[in-house]
Amino acid sequence: MNTTQVKPFSKDILHLENIEAVCDRIAEKLRKDVGQTLQRRGGVVGISGGIDSSVCLALSVKAFGPEKVTGIMLPEQDSSGDSKSLALKLAAKFGVETLEENITGALEGFGCYRRRDEAIARVVPDFDPAVDKSKIEIKQDISKNIPAIFSITVIKPDGEVISKLLPAKEYLQIVAATNFKQRTRMSMLYYHAERLHYAVIGTPNKHEVEQGFFVKYGDGGADVMPIGHLYKTQVYQLARHLGVPQEIIDRTPTTDTYTAEQTQEDFFYQLPFAEMDLIWYGWENQYHAGEVGEVMGRTAQEVENIYKSFERKKKTTEYLRMRPIF
Amino acid sequence: MITAVDTKNKVKEYIIKNTLANVSQIEDDTLIFETGLLDSMGLLFLIEFLKEEFGVETHDEELVVENFESINSIVAFLESKR
Repeated sequence: MNTTQVKPFSKDILHLENIEAVCDRIAEKLRKDVGQTLQRRGGVVGISGGIDSSVCLALSVKAFGPEKVTGIMLPEQDSSGDSKSLALKLAAKFGVETLEENITGALEGFGCYRRRDEAIARVVPDFDPAVDKSKIEIKQDISKNIPAIFSITVIKPDGEVISKLLPAKEYLQIVAATNFKQRTRMSMLYYHAERLHYAVIGTPNKHEVEQGFFVKYGDGGADVMPIGHLYKTQVYQLARHLGVPQEIIDRTPTTDTYTAEQTQEDFFYQLPFAEMDLIWYGWENQYHAGEVGEVMGRTAQEVENIYKSFERKKKTTEYLRMRPIF
Repeated sequence: MITAVDTKNKVKEYIIKNTLANVSQIEDDTLIFETGLLDSMGLLFLIEFLKEEFGVETHDEELVVENFESINSIVAFLESKR
């Protein structure tokens, strides 16, 4: 099939050729944005042991120097156990000071866990938050051209899995309650940023920003987002180049929000990152679905349906990227 | 007894009311997702409406575009569940 663009679509199309120059450019821009535009003297980064925050911390160190970067760990009772050890390893590697702020108490004050668990129990009556694990996920196939609907999955201690479609009221309450986590983290990051006269370095990548996989005024609340223009596979490329610890690179990205283990793919994206990056690139650069499908081993119709899903997600989440209207 | 015509009118009325759409925009075969009338939250609310109004529960495996893409498809889905 003939290409519809100047550059033929290929699996290497997103590969960054001169990674050193890319990192230098981002660091230079970060230095200028924080130092001149925002008039701050360094940066705080919330570090979770995930790939995005790790790359942001490494870029911040490159931009400001390690003495002007503070890594802040913000665990709560549902956080994964290895988040802290990975975050500490990262900070040690880049020579950055860390602080730990456990936000469980603040979340209890907001009623985060209680409100979430009440909503889950209305759908799964024998849900016991003391021993059961839970998560919400999208089960539909992204290539089938229907808007995403969330299900609740409860995992009992004996391994029994109960999964039900979430009614609107319960879905909205669960999301609203768990969003306290990201918003509390944002408040704590700003506390430290203001205390130090630093900027808050936001960690969302291009997919999170454009598909709306962030919480408004939560992890979407930051002063600067140095990887907001990078595809996930490019973030991994930067991680390898910048020397992010291998355990962090090898770790499957999770939401670290629900008690049951939950990958970002299950929760939101419905596609593996490598595939999503390429098809998203094809979509935003108007590559013909047939050409993309040929490279990705999918039919043109499937790619067309994934394009429509991207379009829907972008449109549905426009509200998250909007500033207050006045 | 509720006829297919009654069902169609109720579904149509629901969609018009809840999308604030102009009546003339919505035909029985208008593709409600493709045209952006409903998004994922819209679909979720629609599923609730079908349960409350017609007592029809939607299961995981029935969440396919063929059952919800237009007023005609929704009515056919409801009829198949009677």
